[in-house]
Amino acid sequence: MAEGALMPPLAGVSVVELSRGVAAAHAGRLFATLGAETTLVEPAGGHPLRREPPLLPPANEASALFAFLAAGKNSVVCDVETSAGRAGLSALLATADVFIHDLRSAERAALELDEQSFSDRYPNLIDVSVLPFGAYGPKADWQGEEINLIHASGEGFLLPNGLAAELFPDRPPLKVHGHFAEYQGGVVAALGALAALVSRDRTGAESVDVSVQDAALAVGAFALQRLGDGSLEHRSTRSFKYGGVLECADGYVELLTLEDRQWRGLVELMSRPDWALDPALSDQLERSRRGQAINNCIREWARQQKTADVVARAQVLGVPMAKYNSPAEVLAGEHERARHLFQEVGIPSAGRLPVLVAPFHVDGSPLALKAGPPRLGEHQHLTAALRRREPTVATAGAP
Amino acid sequence: MKPLAGLRIADFTLHAAGPFCTHMLSQLGAECIKVESAARPDIFRKPHPVYGRMGPASFDQVASNKLSVRINLKDTKGAALAKKLVGASDLVCESFRPGVMERLGLGYATLAALKPALVMVSVSSSGQTGPDSHFAGYAPLFGAWGALGYLTGYEDGPPVEMRHVMDHSVGMTAAMAAVAAVYRLRRTGLGGHVDVSAREVACSLAGEALLLAAAGGDPVRIGNDHLRMAPHGVFRTRDEDRWLTIAVRSDREWEALAEAMEAPALLADPRFQTGSSRHEHRRALHVEVEKWTSTCDGAEAERALQDIGVAAHLSCNMQDIAADMHLRDRGIVVDVADADGRRRAALRAPIRFSRSEAGMERGTPRLGEDEDYVFGDLLGLSAEERQSLIDQRVIY
Repeated sequence: MAEGALMPPLAGVSVVELSRGVAAAHAGRLFATLGAETTLVEPAGGHPLRREPPLLPPANEASALFAFLAAGKNSVVCDVETSAGRAGLSALLATADVFIHDLRSAERAALELDEQSFSDRYPNLIDVSVLPFGAYGPKADWQGEEINLIHASGEGFLLPNGLAAELFPDRPPLKVHGHFAEYQGGVVAALGALAALVSRDRTGAESVDVSVQDAALAVGAFALQRLGDGSLEHRSTRSFKYGGVLECADGYVELLTLEDRQWRGLVELMSRPDWALDPALSDQLERSRRGQAINNCIREWARQQKTADVVARAQVLGVPMAKYNSPAEVLAGEHERARHLFQEVGIPSAGRLPVLVAPFHVDGSPLALKAGPPRLGEHQHLTAALRRREPTVATAGAP
Repeated sequence: MKPLAGLRIADFTLHAAGPFCTHMLSQLGAECIKVESAARPDIFRKPHPVYGRMGPASFDQVASNKLSVRINLKDTKGAALAKKLVGASDLVCESFRPGVMERLGLGYATLAALKPALVMVSVSSSGQTGPDSHFAGYAPLFGAWGALGYLTGYEDGPPVEMRHVMDHSVGMTAAMAAVAAVYRLRRTGLGGHVDVSAREVACSLAGEALLLAAAGGDPVRIGNDHLRMAPHGVFRTRDEDRWLTIAVRSDREWEALAEAMEAPALLADPRFQTGSSRHEHRRALHVEVEKWTSTCDGAEAERALQDIGVAAHLSCNMQDIAADMHLRDRGIVVDVADADGRRRAALRAPIRFSRSEAGMERGTPRLGEDEDYVFGDLLGLSAEERQSLIDQRVIY
């Protein structure tokens, strides 16, 4: 039930995004979804992520990544290599609250957007830099893609754990799917920008420096805490003693029993096999010691189970278990539908498709995407005021 | 000054995801009052045999920088005291199973009636609504429900369990959404309820793959491969379990890498002439790259490749991270003292502001350490009233 149709949290906020990478684009997407007017500034040839795989079938022209990240944004073409393009960008920035970008310091200087000239020209504009290793520090100019960053943050070294690590102990460590570290960079950039926005009246507008490496490391804090406790984590040992990824007859499930009552539920779930009734196993420490033997029995049992059935029974017995859902299963999920996790929007060259909106509700309702991803230059009229003064500004590359 | 200075949080979160949210907000300047009780202390105060910890933690990152008070919420007088604390706060955060706050008399509707200018953040495994909202879960389950676990793994192997990064991703997202709601609160006076679903956070980290599936595509596990780049992967160096990550984005970078490898023949190899051809033949290409990296010192190769503009980085373990000069220069890795007085590396909030400050001022609080300030100064309870509540095990 809606708790009331209030305005979205960031209604009235104006954001300009000049990005190439996923992290800055994700930050802009979060602002757009929370209700901010978010304008993506693109070169005449279009944002590089427009061409990034995976492409959406059957036409294979539109990027799924770009469509996800640009949904709800405006698109304006400004070739910042030209003075006219820079003037166009400048006109947009003059009325914006937040500028999200992944410009390197040398590029900023060339665009007259270095921090000093920036604060002189746009005293109310919050400047948010999102770079692989940040804007400051010895690695500020280093190159970094997702695979470098997930490993620079420590989590890559610790993956895979559990079953995959057991099956392939000699393989190189593994990245998380997709753009995990870069998405963290986006969330952190949005958090930093919002904190600066909240304090703007008191502090004045300021610059925010976010590094994808820092952001991914922040969510991996527990491994550093363990180091302080005296344990250097490693993927080969960072697994629960039993449970984890289990192969069933028709897919995989995750099982994690941390509490005694959950263990007792698991014994029930397995129909009280003799081995599990050993009184010694009522002790958590003893179970840990016998983890491998227990796991062999659990795995043998699991292979006879059907995922939907065993997960449903586990839930009734209070045993934490979940199916490893494929994307198609998530899309078809009753729970996801009930919460309107996806919203159908138009995607140029791909038709109307459900796009994930946001992983949270506000005021008892899902947020709403204003639109799908924009066509290149679809909102060129936003620079109209400037075009009247300088006719060359917004024409190059605009459709 | 910190950007969220002046904001006060009544923090009912426990375990990892919720506490990470308020830990971030506290480092950004919010005064965070953590509510626990001896009857239900948070997990870091208890032994954790799974991690070989047989007593309370001497340092808990996500509890750090918070104030601590004891309130037994199961007692009606405790719930009343909690309401009083909420009345003095701007933000309430909680991570119980949906319905628990209502049962305690602390549901959003009740609290918002008490104080309309209140933002409440609820963090749960599946959200406050929907048929699965009663599900309990841990990080690996969020990853499993949300397709991220399914999509992570070697192409011929099983899905991979997401661990604490999953919890903390939820907390980071919750912190971001909370500040968005605080922005509205400050501008308009309107409170609101932010309902964060951990499994949906996992989904959001695979948003592009979910869209691909919706269009009829079939996203699958691809290990360390990239859909476009090659070479792209994690390569052996000359040292045991020391790995170098490399991602090549363009012909220019490929040429630079081949030169660094002193392997001009590869540039002439018809299989490796174009980006798409390198991608098609990436297995053979990766064998060639690893022939070279296997002879290299990882740190030297990392530096040499960065010097020629090729994206490369070691696969870091936590000793590397703790000693990393870049992270220390940025003030992200800092040294703190734990409860036993030992120095250890910890993480500051991952945001650098040009004017505002951020970071930790204090470590992990003792249970009830800040009751003089919170119950006395802030809520105005007299010494007698507090003693009476202690005797009744309301403050417990």
